[in-house]
Amino acid sequence: MKSFTRFAIVSATVATGVLACTEQITSPASCPDFCPGGQIVTVESLLTTAISRDSTFRGYVEAHRAFMLLAATLPGLDSRPIFQTAPIAPRLPINAGGDTTTGPIVVDSSRLTFTLLRRDTAAHNLRLALYRLPLGLDSTSTFAGTAPGFAGTPVRVVNLDSLFAKAGGRDSVTGDSVLSVDSVRHAVTFSLKFDTTQIPFVVADSGQMGIGVRIMADLPTSAAFASGEIGTGPEITWFLRVDSAGTLLQRPAQRRLARFDGFVFDPPPAALDSNLTIGGVPSARALLRIAVPRAIRDSSQIIRATLILVPVAPIPATPADSFFLQVNHVAADLGAKSPIALDTLGPESALFGPGLSDTIQIEVTSLLRFWQFDTTSATAVYLRLLALDRADSVNLDGSEGSTFTALRLYSSRTPAFRPSLRLTFVRRFKFGEP
Amino acid sequence: MRDPRSGAIVVVLLAGAVVTASAQDSPFNVRGLGVPGRFESVRARATGGAFAAFDQLSVLSDVAVVDVASLTATAVGVASFLTDDLNGVRATRRTGRFPLFQVSGPLWHGVVLAGGFATYLDRSYRVVIKDTITLGGSGQAVTDNLSSDGGVTDIRVVAAKRVGRIAFGAGLHLLTGSARVVAQRLFTDTSAYRSVTQTDEVAFTGMGGSASAMLNLTRGLALTVYGRSDTRLSSQVRAATVAVNDLPITIGGAVRWQPAPEAAFAAAVTRRSWASAADSGAFNTTSWSAGAQLGSGSRPLRFGVRGGDLPFGPGGAPREFAVAAGTGLTLAGGRGVIDFTLERLRRTGGGLTETGWSVLFGLTVRP
Repeated sequence: MKSFTRFAIVSATVATGVLACTEQITSPASCPDFCPGGQIVTVESLLTTAISRDSTFRGYVEAHRAFMLLAATLPGLDSRPIFQTAPIAPRLPINAGGDTTTGPIVVDSSRLTFTLLRRDTAAHNLRLALYRLPLGLDSTSTFAGTAPGFAGTPVRVVNLDSLFAKAGGRDSVTGDSVLSVDSVRHAVTFSLKFDTTQIPFVVADSGQMGIGVRIMADLPTSAAFASGEIGTGPEITWFLRVDSAGTLLQRPAQRRLARFDGFVFDPPPAALDSNLTIGGVPSARALLRIAVPRAIRDSSQIIRATLILVPVAPIPATPADSFFLQVNHVAADLGAKSPIALDTLGPESALFGPGLSDTIQIEVTSLLRFWQFDTTSATAVYLRLLALDRADSVNLDGSEGSTFTALRLYSSRTPAFRPSLRLTFVRRFKFGEP
Repeated sequence: MRDPRSGAIVVVLLAGAVVTASAQDSPFNVRGLGVPGRFESVRARATGGAFAAFDQLSVLSDVAVVDVASLTATAVGVASFLTDDLNGVRATRRTGRFPLFQVSGPLWHGVVLAGGFATYLDRSYRVVIKDTITLGGSGQAVTDNLSSDGGVTDIRVVAAKRVGRIAFGAGLHLLTGSARVVAQRLFTDTSAYRSVTQTDEVAFTGMGGSASAMLNLTRGLALTVYGRSDTRLSSQVRAATVAVNDLPITIGGAVRWQPAPEAAFAAAVTRRSWASAADSGAFNTTSWSAGAQLGSGSRPLRFGVRGGDLPFGPGGAPREFAVAAGTGLTLAGGRGVIDFTLERLRRTGGGLTETGWSVLFGLTVRP
């Protein structure tokens, strides 16, 4: 009996000790009777003067650095992609192995490959007209300088809608074909065939050739082709043989990306004014300097921050354009040459298109919270206008300098509509007060 | 021959688990300074606390240690299983605490010295509040979690000496401790609003002094009176004082009657002036207890009741009432003692009723 009693007491003690090591202490709440003296206080504040010293700078992405080659035939806007193909060897070895004897190449035909990234689907019978342009195309080429090349007869005019509609994407008459369709980006890669009368191989130029592109449709239209900057720019493929003392020997085709691509357009971008201009080509950015009151920045926790921007006028954009604003904080505030910080903080606006006149709101909570965490960071941001490349359920992906659209927003010089910041924050909880 | 391993198991458990010193949690902890701890050993708690003023292992009165004949160490553990009913909303809680530890022993010339710690105020709670607030012109559902984990600990050094039929005791008390506090707001719409969590640590400091006397009126009848005065409780957050609260003066008395060696009865009453601790919602308290111990010293039966007020609550002082019973087990020829108590508690105030069971275990070692 004694042993049993002792066992029971010791067991109960051990069990109590184990239970005493865990706890679950949540109580029902009834404020204010059974709530702590302090309360979590959430404050909403519209900071109308938090953004100041805002400026616009232009020239960040120029036409020859853009990810897209913009083509447009619109009232008041004419844009023409241009590119110059890279050279190939005019002579090739006749035999494989150690024999270094070469023979001249004889070109049978060639193909130009493009990737169409964006088009106005409302404009039917999209046609591509290709022109021979003189060599020497580079970043200094202008619309006026290349205009004589576009004045003549095009080398070929291809109806892309007809090509895309053909079974298998192949035109057995012309030899044109659709190579691939990216259903995510809605990009179409197609190849156009040329004979030597259309694109002759000029030995003196080692096959280098200037090409200009215009687009046309039943309606004024615009389109964008991939540029060499993203690796899928215009490409030429030469199909050839080697002349060996009168005998033509088959050789693999030679493929070359364009050594230069860009686009020329008219008219040039409008001059900057006292408003904030974002986008266009060459691309313009707005630099906003944000000063959050120290009482908020140092002693509160921001739970929502919204950047509020008011457009000066409805956005004039081509129908095919979709774009969004991205907010990039700078690593150091050096004015126009401020480097963008290399991190993943890049709040974005919603996707919008032409005609937008509503106030633009961008959630910048992550950015503001980052500045609370790193108080040494420069509190300035670039606003960039990015043309949509692809979108998924989480992210927008786009590129700068890939739209002619220039978004004009009121700056701090217009007090009634100046950029502002709406903050929602929680003040420091007053711990320790009974 | 008793198995010494049973005692060793409990020692190991206590050594691994004693991490905090505080009493059971309660919604009544939320308001004011918290809920005062109970300065009672497990065996005194079994009698409702009636024997605490005479109990060597309790820390209620300094003079109680005067009869300690050898080095003695004791520790207390509590596990509570509580149910709160607030206007029909029920919640259950489980808490575990180690609220008391003391070492005592004779020093010289009949002077007995003791030191240790006990929970002075418990500041542990967690409150979940669901609400809707207006942000951006629309209602946003939020959930607030407000919690505090910690309390104020009374670290004391006392001395006692017997002079004839009267014994005297006095002590110094250092009040210290901290509470980890968290305020968290969670938004249901996480796409628009980020959750916010603020944490800090509140440090408490204070001082106090106590004195007591025990008079053996007859062979079986003893009377103890005790008093204590604490200064102010300073609450600091990041070295900045955020609150200073008056602490109470405590006076009390207890009587013990032992008509036979295996039967003892006791009763006690204590008054504390908590009303000065806060501008509102603080009240002076009176608590009472009565209990008995029957049976042999190695296997006694103890039982008792207690009641009284809690110092902080909405509208008026919350009331509490408890009944308790317990026993003990002597090990290793009296060198180890395990005490065990089961208590049923009920607290009411401000529309809240708190009921529950507390299981207490105590280990006493006399090496």
